[in-house]
Amino acid sequence: MAKIAEGNQEAFEILVNRHQTSVLSLIYRFIGDRTRAKDLAQEVFLRVWQSARSYEPKAKFTTWIYRITANLCLNELKSSRRKKWLQFLRFGDNLENTVEETLVDDTPSPEDLLLAKERSRQITDTLQSLPENQRMVLILKRYDGLSYHEIARVLGCSVSAVESLLVRAKRTLQEKLKSFQK
Amino acid sequence: MKCRNVQKKFSPYQDRELEPREQEQVRNHLLSCRACREQYAELDRVWQTLGELQEIHPDPWFYRQVVRKIKEPREQRLFPSLQWAPRLLPAPVILFILLVVGILTGTYLGNILSQSNIFLLHYEQASETVFTSMRVFDPAPPGTLAEGYFRMVSYKENDSR
Repeated sequence: MAKIAEGNQEAFEILVNRHQTSVLSLIYRFIGDRTRAKDLAQEVFLRVWQSARSYEPKAKFTTWIYRITANLCLNELKSSRRKKWLQFLRFGDNLENTVEETLVDDTPSPEDLLLAKERSRQITDTLQSLPENQRMVLILKRYDGLSYHEIARVLGCSVSAVESLLVRAKRTLQEKLKSFQK
Repeated sequence: MKCRNVQKKFSPYQDRELEPREQEQVRNHLLSCRACREQYAELDRVWQTLGELQEIHPDPWFYRQVVRKIKEPREQRLFPSLQWAPRLLPAPVILFILLVVGILTGTYLGNILSQSNIFLLHYEQASETVFTSMRVFDPAPPGTLAEGYFRMVSYKENDSR
């Protein structure tokens, strides 16, 4: 970060390459819109670049970048509530691209592709149905492997709040995903 | 450890967030209690199902897009629609339009309020205030029958207006 603060673009490129997948994945899992997720991911790194000079290593760098990402995600939801229907229309197209991108190397059969697509859609629909705070905590735990303490730091809440949110999120998911497991 | 207490700890146990001693206690309970084991297995299945959601990968040109965004002028970044919307009107024209709209809106609102009871009430009160102050010269002192008569007459005049 010190090098980036001096304007070192090489250092910045290394940082972006190292964190772009996790940032983009977190945003996409949270908002469910691939196109918007790409925009927001760019915005995250733009803020990293802009904040490089004022960055102080008080905590892990990943905690800091996750905090920026989480804040952007939550702000995005607030500003796009009126456009929910548009998100819903876009989501289908984005999901197709996602499935092709992740499964193409394994060359599965068309039936497997359809099944995987349907499963992903159901899982994402279920995630989208969770309240924002539960959703964010669940994604950070399940997909990014953060500890309760780290999640608490990212979201600016207590560890017990994180635990409580996760319990509720898992309970909701258990009910909604029961049908998928049969 | 009682089943109820163990079940409360399923989530942090699954997340490996319990103290080592508690983690061990829950594990031992699950080994010996079939009901709790089945319940925990359901939770675990949910967790595994979530893993079927794949992560997505950025485009190969993602970094270039970030750099382009950094180099964009600040106004375009804050208001992306400005980039595409043509600048139709110069600032003085916009100010003139705003002034006209403001005057028209104020006139319209003023007409509505003047026709409403609020203004009428104020007018009546004002009339009464004027009338009361003029009473200094009135031959009928306040509280007398004459004063009441004059008051009645003044109300009738207001009603007829």
